[in-house]
Amino acid sequence: MAYLVYFLLDVNDFWHWEAPYTFVVTVFRLLSLLVFILTTTMISGLVGAFAGGAMPSDLIVGLYNTLVLRTWYMQPYGVSGPMINVTEVWVSFQTNLMEVLSALWDNTFLFLYFLLAGVGIALFLQSIIRMEHKFVGGAFLSIQGIVIIAAFRSLIVPDLNPFPPDFMAFLLMSAQILALVSFAYLEVSYQMIYSYSVGKPVEDREETLKKQLLALRQATRKQDAIERGEKVSITGMSRTTGATAFSFLREAIERKVVGTQDALENLDAISDVRRLQIYVDELFNTDSKVKDELTAKAAAPSSSYVIGSTITGSAIRFLTVVSISFILMSPGIVSTLLNLPVGIQGSVELFQPEIVLLFLVPVVLLFPFIAMVISWFSRREVIEKEKLTKEEKEAVKERKKDQARRKREADKARKNRAKERKKRDADETEVDDWDKALEETFKR
Amino acid sequence: MITQRGFVVVFAGVLLLTSGFSFVNFYLVLLGVYLVIGLVVTLPLFALTANLAGIEVDRQIDKVKLFSGDFIRVRVTIRNTSRRHFDFIEVHDQYPETWILAIGENFIASRIEPGSSMTFSYILQARMRGRYYLGPTEVIMRDRLGLHFYKRILKEQTEVLVYPTWKDVRRMDALGKQRQLGLMFGAHRTKTVGMGSDFAGFREYSPGDEFRLIDWKVSAKRGDMVIRQYEMEKNVQIIVMVDSSGSMGNGYPENTKLEYAIRAAVLLTHMGLERKDIVGTCVFSDMVHGYIPPGARPNHMYSVLEILAMAEPTGWSDYETAIAHVVQQSKKRSLIIWMTDLEESPAPLLNAMKTLVANGHKALVISPFGPWFEAPVGQFGPVEKVLAEAVSEELWERRNKIARALSRFGINVINVGPEDFLPVIIRAYEEAKQRGVATF
Repeated sequence: MAYLVYFLLDVNDFWHWEAPYTFVVTVFRLLSLLVFILTTTMISGLVGAFAGGAMPSDLIVGLYNTLVLRTWYMQPYGVSGPMINVTEVWVSFQTNLMEVLSALWDNTFLFLYFLLAGVGIALFLQSIIRMEHKFVGGAFLSIQGIVIIAAFRSLIVPDLNPFPPDFMAFLLMSAQILALVSFAYLEVSYQMIYSYSVGKPVEDREETLKKQLLALRQATRKQDAIERGEKVSITGMSRTTGATAFSFLREAIERKVVGTQDALENLDAISDVRRLQIYVDELFNTDSKVKDELTAKAAAPSSSYVIGSTITGSAIRFLTVVSISFILMSPGIVSTLLNLPVGIQGSVELFQPEIVLLFLVPVVLLFPFIAMVISWFSRREVIEKEKLTKEEKEAVKERKKDQARRKREADKARKNRAKERKKRDADETEVDDWDKALEETFKR
Repeated sequence: MITQRGFVVVFAGVLLLTSGFSFVNFYLVLLGVYLVIGLVVTLPLFALTANLAGIEVDRQIDKVKLFSGDFIRVRVTIRNTSRRHFDFIEVHDQYPETWILAIGENFIASRIEPGSSMTFSYILQARMRGRYYLGPTEVIMRDRLGLHFYKRILKEQTEVLVYPTWKDVRRMDALGKQRQLGLMFGAHRTKTVGMGSDFAGFREYSPGDEFRLIDWKVSAKRGDMVIRQYEMEKNVQIIVMVDSSGSMGNGYPENTKLEYAIRAAVLLTHMGLERKDIVGTCVFSDMVHGYIPPGARPNHMYSVLEILAMAEPTGWSDYETAIAHVVQQSKKRSLIIWMTDLEESPAPLLNAMKTLVANGHKALVISPFGPWFEAPVGQFGPVEKVLAEAVSEELWERRNKIARALSRFGINVINVGPEDFLPVIIRAYEEAKQRGVATF
């Protein structure tokens, strides 16, 4: 894809290999001009404030000669030696600034082509190593970015103008080949990533389990060694054995290390690790399937099927996309289908790229609409309900009922007590020992 | 539903299309069309195959009741009952936030064929007592290119009851095995002469004594009728009143007053059952949440653990309702140990004690002092520190008054912090045993 872009854009003769160097030099030239103007402004200000006079012309000329002319070889045409006149300096400065800005504008595009090509190739290499969508998408966009910028600069870029009415002619156009290669790159990469990622979680799971079990075993052994009084570095244990591979052990170790002052806390941490080891050992002894279930080995899909389905899936998708796109973009098909009058059929608007929208928008919306209808029908089967067995429902009901009964009883008892207390207060004037205690303690 | 990756494709497609329109370039338009069509073309097919109703998830666990800190294996089986395959399916089985994933992973991603199933399992450590639910299970299905997805949450949940931690009992047993005589050692059974099997001594015969108790040999030697006496085994009956009002839940999650009270109740019940004493438990706040009368049935411990597991710090402390319930249910003389923070009005407490004493019970209050369980003063700034100290002093003064009032009637109030909660309860039990309080 990158080569095709290079090849198709080479007619513009803009792949000048010194472009990055020129760009960097231009940036520095611009910077030196900016430094010059800043320095002169600041010095003028300081001289005006402290000495009450204007900045000496010699200083401006000197600065210009040193910062601009000597450092960046920006001698104006027809002047060989250093500048001697301040008026000359300002004229030269203005010319230089305009020249540098214009050169920068040109060079920026040139530089961007190289930058995007570099980024695209780097991301492509990353995508091969890491198998991630973002790198694939990044590489695709970077390379296509070159074409977009070139189109913006009105260079000769791949185009299909006029759009061919024949499908075979359409397929064999150079721009179409680039488009097909670019799309195929995306499609195949995404399919490959799928093949890779569908088996990866199971592999990762197995790897993680191995690490966890190893770390657990080693942690238990170290704990035993510590108890036997052998010298073992606790912090070393966590790093070297990969015990930090999983949160449980990490937490246990943290509790052990942090809570050194609390002996009981240490006991807990040690006992948790040991108990987990015992639990795991027991599981492995009693159930032969336990390892397969923990790694979910049986869930790994057959690789031959995945590869086969990837190839067929890609091919079908690819052909469908190309065919639909051709139909959508062919003005002839559009005009025939819509049975347009001759005047419109011959109009220039029909041969503009925007005509694509006429069909593209409804067709593109049609697919999600169909999907929505299908999923709406299928979702009706997926109305989720809390699935409780009859006994569970009964138990929940019983619990709620019991709770309500207790609450009612408590309220009733409280009311009765209050009533009795009121009655007693009215009847009796005598205060018992408890009331006395309460009064003496709280009422002063 | 379009994934993030799908949106990137949309963005790229729109960028190329608009660039093509702007620069009148059919190549860019074509590439844009490819991307946009490529994104949506398989969408209907995906919607047709991604009928997640065909996915069934079955969760199995080793046990439905376990102790806090115990491990549990969760097995999840995913079945594809439909006639279509699922290209890429992700299953996330959710577990309670406070639990720890000890071994394995709680999710799987793979492809599943029609009519087939896949099983994965993982090991969790249950943390903190209570009623928990494993699940729901989130099933995400993606298309091959990862551009679209459908999500379904299977709401089947598995209930798990987590008992309070058993670590205190384990610790005590471990210390006992190591013969490091700890706080629980040195207990003596209350010795009362009466019916029993252990010989206690002789006494002179008095009319009415059973003839079978006469020791004829000793009587012959002494020349007077002497009977054998036996030591009667007396056990204490204790009822632990655990206050589960809102204020008992203040502090760090695993270090609240309620958690300590529950741990103490578990320890006490275990010790009681070990020594043939009978211990009951009542969990109350503004109503009685659960009451297990004193007993020594084989599954008594589990009944106690169950009500303690479900205790939640809510409401206020209605001591009178709680004691009325207990007194009505338990007629035998008992030692009633209150575990309450005494942060309610004192009058109902005194009324409750009055009822309790009037019914012949003995009482003891073990009161966790709030500030000792909540944020350590060291973490406060100077102003907060002063305020905390002032509040602390006021609370201390208040509980001292309550303690003075109760001490008039022989009811002790013991203030406890996190460090001495469990030792105090063990000591209280030992003293009750030694003094023969509430024997039966």
